[in-house]
Amino acid sequence: MTIVMDGLRYLAYILIFPGFLFCFLTGMLLCGIDRKLVARMQKRIGPPILQPFYDFFKLLGKETIVPAAANRTVFLLAPLVGLAAQVVLQLFIPVFHFNAFRGVADVIVILYLLLIPALSVILGAASSGSPYAGVGLSREMVTVLSVELPLVLVLLAVAKTVGNALGTGLCFSLTDIVNYQIANGSLLTRLSMLPAAAAMLLIIPGETGSHPFDAAEAETEICEGMLAEYSGAPLAVYKLSHAVKLLTMTSLFVALFLGGIGGGVMTLLSGLSPAAAGAIGLVLEILILFLLCVVLVAVCVSLLHAVTARLRIEQLFKYYWTVVTGLAAVSVVLAWYGL
Amino acid sequence: MMQHYPILAIMTYFLGAFLIVIFGKNRTVRNAVGFLATAVPLCLLITLVKPVMMGGDIIAYWMGGRVPAGGYAIGIALEVDALSLFFGLLVATAVFAAMLYSFSYMSHDDNEPQYYTLFLMLCGGVMGLVLSGDLFNMFIMVEILTFAAVALTAFRNSVFGALEAAFKYLVVGSIGSSCILAGTIMLYAQAHTLNFAQLSAMIPGNLNLATTVAYALLFIGFCTKAFLVPFHPLAADAHGAAPAPVSVLISGVLTKSGLYGIIRLTYILFRTMNLGTVQFWLVFLGSVSMFVCVTMALAQHDFKRLLAFHSISQIGYVLTAAGLATALGVSAGLYHAMNHTLFKGLLFLCAGAVLHETGTTDLDKLGGLSKKMPHTTVLFLVGAFSISGIPPFNGFASKWLIYQAAYQKGVESGNIGFLLVTICCLVTSTLTLASFVKVTQSVFFGQLPKEYENVREVSFGMRLAMGLLALLCIVTGLFPGLVTTFLTEPAARAVFGANHYINAMMGAGYAESFGLADMLPVSFYSAGVWSPISWLCLLMIMLLAVAIVAVSSKYDQVSALAKTAAAAEAAAVAGPRYGSGSPAEGKYELFFGGEESVYSQVGGDDMFWGFKHNWRHYFSFMHNLHSGIVNDYALWAVIALALAMLYAMIIL
Amino acid sequence: MILINYLASFFLIVLGLYCIVTKYDLLKSVIGLSIIDYGVNLLIITIGFNPGGTAPIFSFGELNPESFFVDPIPQALTLTSIVIGACVTAMSLSLVIKIREMYGTTDTHEIRRLRG
Repeated sequence: MTIVMDGLRYLAYILIFPGFLFCFLTGMLLCGIDRKLVARMQKRIGPPILQPFYDFFKLLGKETIVPAAANRTVFLLAPLVGLAAQVVLQLFIPVFHFNAFRGVADVIVILYLLLIPALSVILGAASSGSPYAGVGLSREMVTVLSVELPLVLVLLAVAKTVGNALGTGLCFSLTDIVNYQIANGSLLTRLSMLPAAAAMLLIIPGETGSHPFDAAEAETEICEGMLAEYSGAPLAVYKLSHAVKLLTMTSLFVALFLGGIGGGVMTLLSGLSPAAAGAIGLVLEILILFLLCVVLVAVCVSLLHAVTARLRIEQLFKYYWTVVTGLAAVSVVLAWYGL
Repeated sequence: MMQHYPILAIMTYFLGAFLIVIFGKNRTVRNAVGFLATAVPLCLLITLVKPVMMGGDIIAYWMGGRVPAGGYAIGIALEVDALSLFFGLLVATAVFAAMLYSFSYMSHDDNEPQYYTLFLMLCGGVMGLVLSGDLFNMFIMVEILTFAAVALTAFRNSVFGALEAAFKYLVVGSIGSSCILAGTIMLYAQAHTLNFAQLSAMIPGNLNLATTVAYALLFIGFCTKAFLVPFHPLAADAHGAAPAPVSVLISGVLTKSGLYGIIRLTYILFRTMNLGTVQFWLVFLGSVSMFVCVTMALAQHDFKRLLAFHSISQIGYVLTAAGLATALGVSAGLYHAMNHTLFKGLLFLCAGAVLHETGTTDLDKLGGLSKKMPHTTVLFLVGAFSISGIPPFNGFASKWLIYQAAYQKGVESGNIGFLLVTICCLVTSTLTLASFVKVTQSVFFGQLPKEYENVREVSFGMRLAMGLLALLCIVTGLFPGLVTTFLTEPAARAVFGANHYINAMMGAGYAESFGLADMLPVSFYSAGVWSPISWLCLLMIMLLAVAIVAVSSKYDQVSALAKTAAAAEAAAVAGPRYGSGSPAEGKYELFFGGEESVYSQVGGDDMFWGFKHNWRHYFSFMHNLHSGIVNDYALWAVIALALAMLYAMIIL
Repeated sequence: MILINYLASFFLIVLGLYCIVTKYDLLKSVIGLSIIDYGVNLLIITIGFNPGGTAPIFSFGELNPESFFVDPIPQALTLTSIVIGACVTAMSLSLVIKIREMYGTTDTHEIRRLRG
């Protein structure tokens, strides 16, 4: 009986919250807000906030064309695998008090899971056989390489800081990191974590491929690069994947640096019965998470998009491996010596 | 009965080699002998898993029944503890798969009997090395395997560079072998014994100048066998020229014998691993190998050379993990060694399949093979994901343990250097992924060149061998708990429990009579809990997605539409509608990049321009350094030897 | 007496290494390998040698605690090592012949198609 219940619970996690449905709605909303914000910053009116939804459903109805040179199976399967990995990733990121998978939410697992969506786009692009896609995927791979080093450093810095505080020396569990922040206040309030947070803010646009780090899918230059040959439903899935990635990266930032905010919610609800507090708390926390994500998107995606021009791929690499890595490294050293 | 299994395992290989010399003219007989000679040792070793791995027994076999008398081991022994058995199993598995593959892969070569003879000699040499309990016996096995490996490298001597590679390997390999011999004899001069158990009881308490030099000599000797950093060009040369199954042996089996030697030497024979300086030595060497070789791999144009450099890079992971001298580290390192044998074997076999069908492994010439060789492509992707550490394949499980071990070691010792090691491991992993993306794009995806229109899928026998390894890759990735419980943790316990080993061989209380204590309390604490539940979820979601797609059956209609559309478009392009010119000179080609067969491959050298441009000085420096002159490589060997001796004298 | 042997073996090993590193000819590399081998063989023999000892050949019952003989094990090892050394030389010479056929030279600076 418990197995069935557990199975149903996990199914609910996967399909509804924080799985597909939640990712779909929130990611698309974030995407729409981003577009609206960029437009407003550039003194345009911009599309309606629900435009990504319209786009998605319209694309689903369009014809899917598989290029003659493409490997059909990989070409069609790659978007699905990417989306699945992206959603699984979201399952691992705790929403303040809420954890879909306690104990396995490990920062290194997340690091590697982050590779899978990028890899799926790359494989899909490679299988299409288009030269534009070829250029795009080589750039995407370099982008992944560039982002990887600072991201590793940021995660290690956080793991070390929390590990020091908990006395275990290292703490790779994202759940523990969030719980620690709920008990002791957000990590962003620490001086030693500020550079890492700044680095993470710069990593988010790199991971999601937005300006000025979008050399991989430069529309004006290489026709969206990796997505050049995609149309119809697979393209819709990629767009969705991209939207979910916005959510994932920003909620990862929240989990790493702003986890403490969840603590306040529960104290507000301390007068209620536990069940009611749990339910209302969860809803409130989801709302707070969403608001924080919107703020983060506004700061590091929309604002950067509006004010910067695209970097060349080798400039991008250099930027990440010098400036961003430097910021993260400062944090690591500070954390290592317990400051 | 059980104690006869090790010697039977070794002798089956040699017996097979001799039988093939005599009866090898007939193809059926040859294949049957080859199959049996590789299958029987595998079965024999698998039956040893229960007593050795789970029961903690040590199987001692004294040749001619000459058991030790009066505390002196006179006879030649085979000593099988969990560490030996672990490596033995790796060897037997890889050899079995390579043999299956050889049947059809080598069927077009002449001198087939000689190939199988050398092949089995190499297997026997490695198996003898890992199961042996006698230092001089080990040297003889090293010579046998070096010889067989050199001969097999030069086997297809009309292949570009095969002879050259074999000669370079022979020169530097012989220097390494001479080092092992000199080290062996210097230890003999001090202890008057060649038996491992007795040596490991006598040496650790009596370190002097002679044993220290012997330590350095043996260490460098085994480094040449594992192709660690100053010797890595040899591996690249040899793999590029050798037939694919031989590459599997060299990377999956021969390098493991070197690793086994290093672990045996540092942990058990000399018990130096509790010294921070020795740990630094191993970790430094491992990290440098890891990083240098992965960057060298990024710059390669040849499929097999690229794989060869990756091979050494992964060996670097193993050495780094083993050098941490924690139970988790050793266990993780051995896990990765096993995974390396599996996925690198698989990748080399895939490279062999490509070579077999197209006749080249040049990344700049190949492309688009996934349509012609779909099974090989899938198998290659499994191998590539495994080596890049993509969950849920096996590379991820072992790398994950290695990161934890390195980071935990750093936290325990408060040394920020181990943090750098962790970072180096993680970055290397991404670079590995990058270079495999390059291979995938340049060989299997992208556009199919005209001359490979008639390429076909490889024969069933070759796919069977690849499938076996791919299956093992997935199984060991999905059930890491089984691997650590039954294979790597017993082996790690054997590494730390040298006294048990000595006493089992030389009689109870022998190790204690020399005042030796075991090194560390063995604990396998890991920071995260490995739980495959997440991967099962991933699979569930993927199945769900595929199911939805299949039910809606939208793609099938669409694809039919797409096909007609593509056909119409192709006909339109080819037809006279766009003017009189043929498509080859048509000016509209540009707009049909993915559709037309214009050969515009993005791959090879310009693949990661953005990355390489920033590192151009490093890459040109490394390119000049690997000059291909045998004298230079010998010079590196001499320098490495001198440094090792100097360092050993300072620290011990 | 013994010291000279040790010094000579050390000298031979270093000479062999020097030869391999500095001589740009495949044949000379092979000669260098052989010289290293001789050096190691001399080392092994010297280690087993006891001045004034007899040959280690006894029949049953003849051996007693007072017998003074040279250590037989290193001699056995040397025999093996000599055989292996001969094999190395033979193998490398056959490779040199094939290389010479294919490349038309034995200069190591010409034989560097595999590099980088």
